[in-house]
Amino acid sequence: MRAFPFARVALLGFAATSLAGCKYWKSEERVTVQTGYRGTAMEHTVKKSDVMAQFAATSVPEPVPAAGPSPPGPLPWKNVQVLNDISVAEFNRTMVAMSTWVAGTGNCAYCHNVVNFASDTANDGKPLYTKLTARRMLQMTRHINGQYGQHVANTGVTCYTCHRGKPVPQGMWTFGDGNQYQRHYLDRDGARVISHEMAPSNANRSSVKQTEWTYALMISMSNSLGVNCTYCHNTRQFASWQEAPPARVKALHGINMVRDVNTNFVAPLVSILPQVRLGEMGDAPKVQCQTCHQGVYKPLYGAKMAKDYPAIWGRPDWAGTPFPGLYQTAADSTQKVADAAATAPVGGR
Amino acid sequence: MLEYQNIFTRVQVRTQPEAGLPIPDSLMGPGRLGKGMFGPLAYWAGKFGDAQIGPIYLGTTGLLSLMFGFLAFEIVGLNMWASVGWDPVEFVRRLPWLSLEPPPPQYGLKIPPLNQGGWYLLAGACLSLSIVLWWIRTYRRARALGMGTHLPWAFASAIFLFSAFYFQPLLVGSWSEMVPFGIFPHLDWTSAFSIRYGNLYYNPFHALSIVFLYGSAVLFAMHGATILAVSRLGGEREIEQITDRGTASERAALFWRWVMGFNATMESIHRWAWWFAVLTTFTGGIGIILTGTVVDNWYLWGVKHGLVAPYPAQNVLTEEQKLELRGRYQGTSPDSFPMYNVPVTPAAPAMPDSMLPGMTPAPGAAPPATPSATPSATPPAATTPPGGTK
Repeated sequence: MRAFPFARVALLGFAATSLAGCKYWKSEERVTVQTGYRGTAMEHTVKKSDVMAQFAATSVPEPVPAAGPSPPGPLPWKNVQVLNDISVAEFNRTMVAMSTWVAGTGNCAYCHNVVNFASDTANDGKPLYTKLTARRMLQMTRHINGQYGQHVANTGVTCYTCHRGKPVPQGMWTFGDGNQYQRHYLDRDGARVISHEMAPSNANRSSVKQTEWTYALMISMSNSLGVNCTYCHNTRQFASWQEAPPARVKALHGINMVRDVNTNFVAPLVSILPQVRLGEMGDAPKVQCQTCHQGVYKPLYGAKMAKDYPAIWGRPDWAGTPFPGLYQTAADSTQKVADAAATAPVGGR
Repeated sequence: MLEYQNIFTRVQVRTQPEAGLPIPDSLMGPGRLGKGMFGPLAYWAGKFGDAQIGPIYLGTTGLLSLMFGFLAFEIVGLNMWASVGWDPVEFVRRLPWLSLEPPPPQYGLKIPPLNQGGWYLLAGACLSLSIVLWWIRTYRRARALGMGTHLPWAFASAIFLFSAFYFQPLLVGSWSEMVPFGIFPHLDWTSAFSIRYGNLYYNPFHALSIVFLYGSAVLFAMHGATILAVSRLGGEREIEQITDRGTASERAALFWRWVMGFNATMESIHRWAWWFAVLTTFTGGIGIILTGTVVDNWYLWGVKHGLVAPYPAQNVLTEEQKLELRGRYQGTSPDSFPMYNVPVTPAAPAMPDSMLPGMTPAPGAAPPATPSATPSATPPAATTPPGGTK
């Protein structure tokens, strides 16, 4: 009986898999960026075609043409509560941009009572929740751009960063079954589970089950940014800041920002939003990392939209450095922001 | 003997089924079930082992063991099915992710309601009972056949690791530490357990367990290959070769002596295998029991004992910053996750937005939250110093 040519078949199989493997691992398809000390596998790997497709699917609207000359003096309109520190032309320009970003081009009526643009109510006397929300969101945007330079740098955010042309942004969350971990994005600040000391003590009684909640929270961030664990952590010790990539510091400011935004701007909208916009437990939709990032490590791949809209920053003379928002222009609060910037920990620009 | 050169079994016996020694009656009735047969499955049975199937003897402990095992299986399965609203399609589709979870942390070591981990504890108790009964069965069968009790004691080592997952939660004081029943959930648990205790790879007993586990695989491959390779010379008759060493045994020994300068014997190779297998689970169990009871962060243990390779810091932090960045632990109940109650919507801060047209905002309304450089959002300190302003 002729022996089955085991050796030859095995050799052929090995050669074939090696060749296929090389083609995959060595191809330009895979891009690996080193994020830590050499030889520690601290790296970020992406598939080029995935990123290219995602990049192609990300569109950034053309900036509205720059504002022309305006009549001097204050705004001629009533009941302008946030954007009253800019010129008439800049105001109109910003409104046009906002309609594109949020409501669909030229759709003033999404927010305004077109009979009386200054009114906060419709003709039947019911409050215009869209207008009230938009006003609060403008304050929020100025707050983010003015207070969270540690996270948004001089790229800043605009309405479009989250809305992407739709009235309700992607990735909003409400309370439901199984997503309790997202409460860390609102009013739970303790997500740590790893002990700072070698020996057990009552200081840390976090259980393995609680670890899974933190894990779920971290994976939601990982998915939101399209990155792996080592983007922010040295995974040999997740708790260590010293061994973590600087991106973790940036993310920390982001978490603080999300908690601030949810607590002070988004969750309180529950009192003005209609029932249809609320979650199953009656709470307002809240933001998370996904809401801005939408799967990308920098929202809109870092496109600098806000630089074209001084109103978004709250100062018409903005020239590349974030300024505090309108309601922060009092001398004391400006000083507070300057102090905070001066004493901020590492990670800022 | 050329048939034995193949890596698959090519020789199968067909004869009168072997009935075995007479045995006393049990719960199962008199003697064994069936007479043994070379039935339709005999060909495939013969590929993997003895072609004869049966007769079967379960005995009292075997029968009880299967009953409790079935009970545990049912509790787990029905709870999983209930978790998808008794939808059979969803049950199959999501089976790998379904889970019967241990009680949440707030129960500590108290007995929780059935739907809060009570079913989990019941299933665990049934499974444990089933395993212990099966151990008794292996011990008694080994004794009945006049064998040594090596097999029950090796099994006991595996049970020790299994029960370490009970002892550790008992010592730590919380059922919530226990392993969930579920395919991916129990894998997620291993990951979470390692993260919680500062990376289990720096646990030396975990390391030892891995050494013995991988060592077992290598020894198994070496021994299996060696015996198959000398089976043309009668090497598969290992027992005869132990007492009456033949050329198969001598060649196998010589092979290893040439290859690595040392060889096990026909007898001692089985001691190697037995000890490696037993020590895998035994050292693993010790590693689990020490975790959270003696050492809470294995990485820091590794730093202390020079196990952790030092790399340059990626961030240079002051002591003050380190303290700030520590943040807060998840904490103990009732201030702990998971929460099942509907969260209370935070009190809305003063909204500058008017609900009425024409209303002007109050100056200084809606104070923005203080930008916090620390991960903890402690409430801002009182703005007015005692004594008031002058």
